[in-house]
Amino acid sequence: MILTLNRMGRGRFVLYAIAGATSAFLLLPVVFIAFLSFGSSQWLQFPPPGWTLKWYEVLFADPRWLASMLVSLKVGLCVMALSIALGLPAAFAIVRGRFPGRAALHAFFISPMIVPVIILAIALYALILKLGLNGSFLAFVAAHLILALPFSVICIVNSLEGFDISVEKAAIICGATRLQAIRRVTLPAIRLGILSGALFSFLVSWDEVVLSIFMASPGTQTLPVKMWTTLRQDLTPVIAAVSTLLIVMTIAVMLVAAFLRRRIAR
Amino acid sequence: MTSLTKNAVEIHHLVKRFGQVTAVDDVSLSVADGEFLTFLGSSGSGKTSTLFIVAGFEDPTSGSVEIDGRSVLSVPPNERNIGMVFQRYTLFPNMSVRDNIAFPLSVRGRPQNEIDRAVAEMLDMVRLGSYAGRRPSELSGGQQQRVALARALVYRPRLLLMDEPLAALDKRLREDIQQEIRRIHRELGVTILYVTHDQEEALRMSDRIAVFSHGKIAQIGSGSDLYERPANGFVASFVGNSNMLRGRLRGVSERMASVELADGTVLHGLSDANLIHGTQVEIMVRPERLIPSSSRAGDLTSLQSVEGTVIDVSYLGEAVQYEIATRWQQNIVVRNDSRASGLELGASAHFSFHVHDALVFPTQPSAS
Ligand SMILES: Nc1ncnc2c1ncn2[C@@H]1O[C@H](COP(=O)(O)OP(=O)(O)OP(=O)(O)O)[C@@H](O)[C@H]1O
Ligand SMILES: [Mg+2]
Repeated sequence: MILTLNRMGRGRFVLYAIAGATSAFLLLPVVFIAFLSFGSSQWLQFPPPGWTLKWYEVLFADPRWLASMLVSLKVGLCVMALSIALGLPAAFAIVRGRFPGRAALHAFFISPMIVPVIILAIALYALILKLGLNGSFLAFVAAHLILALPFSVICIVNSLEGFDISVEKAAIICGATRLQAIRRVTLPAIRLGILSGALFSFLVSWDEVVLSIFMASPGTQTLPVKMWTTLRQDLTPVIAAVSTLLIVMTIAVMLVAAFLRRRIAR
Repeated sequence: MTSLTKNAVEIHHLVKRFGQVTAVDDVSLSVADGEFLTFLGSSGSGKTSTLFIVAGFEDPTSGSVEIDGRSVLSVPPNERNIGMVFQRYTLFPNMSVRDNIAFPLSVRGRPQNEIDRAVAEMLDMVRLGSYAGRRPSELSGGQQQRVALARALVYRPRLLLMDEPLAALDKRLREDIQQEIRRIHRELGVTILYVTHDQEEALRMSDRIAVFSHGKIAQIGSGSDLYERPANGFVASFVGNSNMLRGRLRGVSERMASVELADGTVLHGLSDANLIHGTQVEIMVRPERLIPSSSRAGDLTSLQSVEGTVIDVSYLGEAVQYEIATRWQQNIVVRNDSRASGLELGASAHFSFHVHDALVFPTQPSAS
């Protein structure tokens, strides 16, 4: 290898600097918001004049914040379950199917990642209004599911493509029915992909704003929507506290994912 | 009509087309109960396709497959009671060695104590008792294939299919496991359909060999049938090493053909085929049947000889192989016991052979 760190001499410090700057660029907003959430300034002054847990007290004392958090959690879990329930058979069809239009179908399942979210939002809004479902739990789940499905499809398609179908054939010739072979051999073998798809689906739903704003009603709001509407009224450090909690939750999910991944890959 | 033969498998006029490609082209054969039959052929000759139809993974375009006299084409693969070892490693990655071998019995709902007993017996048979708790990823390729073999045999299938199970292994290991498969075949008496493209492996292991070429069976017979009495030039050149001397047919009488080579040399050889006078033919002589001698063989004996110059000598341990340039511009290969004749590079010599060791075939179409 020509490009090893040791061979680069002084040049590697340039590399370190670039890597450091990139990391800082990515991390800065996160660190910044966390600092602010513990700052005593009402006006989000930086650096904070003093430290306090006041904003977290305000947050946990307000039942509307907790309610929206609960909505987000429920929607996220539902989206996660449905995304896998639909993504799994879709991935089997895409990878195993031998029918015309298979590639087009694959592209179609990925398309919500490419279509501008605002367009999806407007279209969905019209439909949901017509059905009288705005503000309903169902509307949130349906909207988020559209965005989450590509993630579970991609994750499961990838792991299914890496799985040698001969292994499933071996299970069948051993006496297992197709269904038994899939349940006892194929699914366990691709469970890493399923897990990744599930986590991504949850996270997509957990921090989705645009569609949610269109789906929301004053009565039912997800956490990001609640943040958005609060922000429009006043810029309170409670927002910083909520943001920090959101970030902590996301990091927690990622850590759980990493842990499970390591256990599975063992 | 119920047949009286005890054939385990009967395949009649099997055809399999994939679009334009005819993968299996009118294959018929029968496998006797307890027989070890090998499909030998180069890549793409239809071996796997035939095996997969027997297993039930593919439906034939036409033709029939019978096991114990009953057609199995409408029976799904999991109910055919067939064991199979694949070319690729197909152990279940999420299960231990023990659970892999137990799997066929567990899907059959056998009682746990029976499963435990059978698994232990199989682990013993493939000599992997101490590996029972390991994951497939913790095994070498050879060990994985032995576990796959145990898994394929634990439910005492009627028929065992093996699709190039040793192709991914190195030579030493391959020979060890060949021995092991032979031993297991002897012990269990199971009927085996084995696929390989390695002719040495086929000769070493099989009761009979079916040589595949372009989806057809070029010849089926024992190893010595194929080696001593190949039915055509393809089999002659595919099974074992051979010299194919090109010439023109001068005449045939009583199965004895005489052939004129490019330089005018006339040689004789046996022929079963319907040869047409004046057409291009090939005389096949095995390298080890050519004996170096200092003088030309007499005309009165059934010995005949060709003359040439040694252009290459390779020492192979038990044998020495010479490459000989001939006067008709075709190199031939001679192989002898290494203790015998010591021919030097550049030496000129006669190589004699018996007319019964020469076989005459019509020339193969050049596309192989
Ligand atoms: N599913 C398929 N679709 C299209 N063509 C196929 C399919 N399976 C096999 N073929 C073709 O059929 C022919 C025979 O293939 P087959 O796999 O039976 O050969 P093989 O003798 O097993 O070769 P190898 O030694 O490489 O495994 C080949 O030309 C192959 O390209
Ligand atoms: Mg094959």
